[in-house]
Amino acid sequence: MEIDEQPQRMDVAARIVTPGTAITSDTAFMRGHGTFAEHDTIYSSVAGVVERINKLVSVRPLKQRYSGEIGDIIVGRITEVASKRWRVDVNSRQDGVLLLSSINLPGGIQRRKSESDELQMRSFFAEGDLVFAEVQSYFADGALSLHTRSIQYGKLRNGTLVTAFPQLVPRSRSHFHILPCGVDVVLGVNGYIWVSKHVPASTVEANAELIYSDKNESISDDEREVIARVANCIQLLNRLYVKITDTSIIFAYEASLAHAAKDLLTRDVATELAHNVMTRLEQQQA
Amino acid sequence: MASLILSPAEQDFIIRGVESGLRADGRGSLDRREVSLRTGMISQANGSARCRIGNLGVGTDVLVGVKAEVNTWAPGEPEDVGSVVCNVECSPSAAQEFEGRGAEEINVELTQLLDRIFNGPQSGIDLKKLCIIPKQAYWVLHIDALVLDVKGNIVDTLVWATRAALLSTSLPRVVVETIADEMGNMQAEFDVVDDPEDLTPLEGTERLPISVTFSQIGKRYVVDASEQEEAVAQARITVAVSPAMEICAIQKGGILRGFPPSLLSEILQTAQRIAREELTRFGTHYSQAERQLASQAEEPNTGSTFLVTF
Repeated sequence: MEIDEQPQRMDVAARIVTPGTAITSDTAFMRGHGTFAEHDTIYSSVAGVVERINKLVSVRPLKQRYSGEIGDIIVGRITEVASKRWRVDVNSRQDGVLLLSSINLPGGIQRRKSESDELQMRSFFAEGDLVFAEVQSYFADGALSLHTRSIQYGKLRNGTLVTAFPQLVPRSRSHFHILPCGVDVVLGVNGYIWVSKHVPASTVEANAELIYSDKNESISDDEREVIARVANCIQLLNRLYVKITDTSIIFAYEASLAHAAKDLLTRDVATELAHNVMTRLEQQQA
Repeated sequence: MASLILSPAEQDFIIRGVESGLRADGRGSLDRREVSLRTGMISQANGSARCRIGNLGVGTDVLVGVKAEVNTWAPGEPEDVGSVVCNVECSPSAAQEFEGRGAEEINVELTQLLDRIFNGPQSGIDLKKLCIIPKQAYWVLHIDALVLDVKGNIVDTLVWATRAALLSTSLPRVVVETIADEMGNMQAEFDVVDDPEDLTPLEGTERLPISVTFSQIGKRYVVDASEQEEAVAQARITVAVSPAMEICAIQKGGILRGFPPSLLSEILQTAQRIAREELTRFGTHYSQAERQLASQAEEPNTGSTFLVTF
């Protein structure tokens, strides 16, 4: 059945709809996520973009809760210390779970878990701590199971957290970036982004005992200013709905140097910078 | 006020930043965020305003309405003045801890604070002019505030919105007549003119104070704290300053610690300086709000409309 033959059918090509917009009255289509049917017409139930795959019509919402997938790199905040596990806020419908058996124990990766580890769980992660982890699997109820079984994962220090829309952080090869301005950025796919002072990897490996330390390194005023600038750049990319990648952050940072760090979050400067970044991204793609 | 939990590393980052004079968003200790101000959105109220303090269209958001009612005088009340009644409510949708009865304490604290600033001669409002007939009838101004969103610094947002609402408040005209009753005594009667065009502005509003809230973090303090900074702050002090540069009200909040007295005198001096700047900034925003109200038919420019309009 050719789509173009039926005259009364509405055009289901990619377009932006709001809740209640009629998409099509053609009964040939099946309705997918983000739609509902009344009598013969398929309406959108969310604000988003219409997507059509063969006979399936669905609407991809603009704003959606983060739902994790295995292998996602995320940043989470410990909300609860329970028996042999931690509950982690991952900006999703449910808290994620970090099992005691899924973390690196200080003293080497091969150290056996002992009973005393279970009794001093707060010496590893306590409530409020930020953890850089990867999604390992799902529990039966859909909660994410996390692990930090790699040297680059673990407790986050020396910086500040920025919250962005999860859909603006694309999944990519690497989520830990060292920016040329001397700042480390961890782009959690769940929208939590950590901006911190660059600490050379050699320092981290040398102090295997200190991977759960709460102490920050000393941060100079210049480093602090750069961290604030990068954090503000990410904030404005987020508010102006630009994809947040290491490239877009670097572009935004370079464009931002003409302004004081605190002015980056004013409406005029933010709009100008976001347009600047989008133009450069388009040029780069072309 | 909001109970955000931060990791020890984040807290240390904020505290050391404040002690060096460089906050996490690049502001200096005394720098304030952007303000959005609108008036006249509640048509049934005598005056209304909505103020948002924050970055890029997301911030602490407070809506204030002023409603004037005529009250009958009762023996025991002051004979020749009107009165002001304040009420602040934090909407449960503003923050998770406000759900159910979670907002009770903070509602009381903010109501008392608003009362301290705006109820009484220190507020500048001419309460005598609010009296209609002595020992008989007077105007009561009900100032009702609703906190819609919290991103740090509820107090200053609240005071800005209240100030704007009071400045835009106008009362119906009242006609007072003295008539002789059956025994020949002169009785005064009043009649409220029911003409929506015939209004008089509230008197004394040019003397209304503005507030500056200081949060103590580590050994130093900041003005206009963000949510994260408030989570780390040990104490908070609000200073209300009038346009005549007099301190009208001071209230300390924050249950963790007290304030070192030396810091306090520095704060009071700084408050006056900042209040002067804030009054100028307020004036600019208020005139803009009035202009936008007057020209109701504004074409929304679709560039970044959502950052601007409420």
